[in-house]
Amino acid sequence: MSDLNLNEDQQDCLQEIINVAMGQASDQLARFLDTFVYLKVPSIEQVSTISLIDTLNSSENSAAVVSQGFFGYEGIRGEALLMYKPKDSHRLADLLGYEPDELSVDEQIIDLSSILTTTFLNVFAKQIDNQMSYSAPRLLAGSQSAISDHLAQQSFSWDLALKVKITYQVTDYSFNCDMVLLIPESAINNIKAVIDRILEEF
Amino acid sequence: MSPNNICTNITNKLNTGILIIDNQYNIVLWNQYLEIHANKKPESVIGKNIFEIFGELPERWFKRKVESVFQLKTQSFCSWEQRHHLFELPHTRPITTNSHFMAQNCTFLPIETDDGKEHVCILIEDVTDVCHYQTMLKKTLEDLAQANRIDGLTQIFNRKHWEECLEKEFSRARRYQHGLALIMFDLDHFKLLNDTYGHLGGDLVLIETAKTITKLLRLGDLFGRYGGEEFAIILPNTDKIGALDVAERIRLAISKNVINFQDRDIQVTASVGVAVINENDSRYEDLISNTDLALYDAKGSGRNIVCVAEELLEI
Repeated sequence: MSDLNLNEDQQDCLQEIINVAMGQASDQLARFLDTFVYLKVPSIEQVSTISLIDTLNSSENSAAVVSQGFFGYEGIRGEALLMYKPKDSHRLADLLGYEPDELSVDEQIIDLSSILTTTFLNVFAKQIDNQMSYSAPRLLAGSQSAISDHLAQQSFSWDLALKVKITYQVTDYSFNCDMVLLIPESAINNIKAVIDRILEEF
Repeated sequence: MSPNNICTNITNKLNTGILIIDNQYNIVLWNQYLEIHANKKPESVIGKNIFEIFGELPERWFKRKVESVFQLKTQSFCSWEQRHHLFELPHTRPITTNSHFMAQNCTFLPIETDDGKEHVCILIEDVTDVCHYQTMLKKTLEDLAQANRIDGLTQIFNRKHWEECLEKEFSRARRYQHGLALIMFDLDHFKLLNDTYGHLGGDLVLIETAKTITKLLRLGDLFGRYGGEEFAIILPNTDKIGALDVAERIRLAISKNVINFQDRDIQVTASVGVAVINENDSRYEDLISNTDLALYDAKGSGRNIVCVAEELLEI
């Protein structure tokens, strides 16, 4: 288990790559959404299946969770979860530049999730000379059901994951959401290999 | 065959619609799948505006969607779950599903052509099948959830669901200082009735009684079969006077109800117990046992009568 842990250098390096990617993503998003998008300093940690389920369940009052898978070269893959709070969803159409009657709230949430996830991961991938592809985003929990309903019925095929959490803030719309990137056990070594290569090049 | 030829060949053999537009929304590529499904030859669509070819597209929304792909250089998706279809195309199961148009998952990909110009490629996948089965599954799950709440014989709430309702109403009444009343009633001499008319006769009496009472109740009242020939009603926001009024109407309605079974008329009466929430009730079960005691009183006082739980005066 401990050999999966990132050492201090690896952790710093990953943090730095993410910081640079956040800056670029924030810039692109601000231009597209025509408002300032602030990304809070990320937290990077290793999580176990059990603690992740606990975290997700404790955010019980999140109004919606959207999942989108990502996969790139060299075995870099994982799942992005976008988590929204109930009060924050009523001005999304406006933020996205749509008229509210053009699309449902669910679609607004999915659309925004996809934009946040892919914009960030595209620049992140560029930083590590990679390129990402994505699965279609899916609403795991919306107005109809809680995230715990989805998780409770599953047994997971992994014990550990690398978790990167970034909070997005759009102050003009007093809007907040969390992006949680989860890299499963099987892909952690792949990302470590990439980080090690970058460290060597310095 | 050159690799380029192979690619074109595959593009045309894929079971996916492939369509490329430039930044003016003009169509620059149209694969065989679309030629067949939209029944339009490439010559008649290449160079034309996409909104001209597909008048059904929500133009404003579509333009903003495509704009995000051009500007952020990232792919975008549109699922049948949010939008059944974007393009009005026929599908492969016109006979065995009731879908009018092909349900679609669409992917918008940013691509750069050899001359460095930016384009958006739209992939259209037929998911009518998935949509059909998912809709059936959803309906089945709803039916199951419904079946889980309903008593099979009388079609009113079963004991389990009724108790869950009471638990909720109890805590709501406590939280907002609202009134809450409970009525429980039991059909008199039901065993004798079963012995006389058989269980089919008994079942019919239960069914008809449930029907009669359902008609008497207000929208917010929660009516369930508590067990055997015992029924229970939750009356939210109701005081003792209101509950007694409902209880008396129930007693009267049951006693007047004539049920015809195999050319014989069956008449039954009911004993009714009433209780309202009081300070001493700490759990919803306390309210049930108070109501039960009142019902016991009604049985003891000669039946076909309404009794109310005595409120304990605190000294």
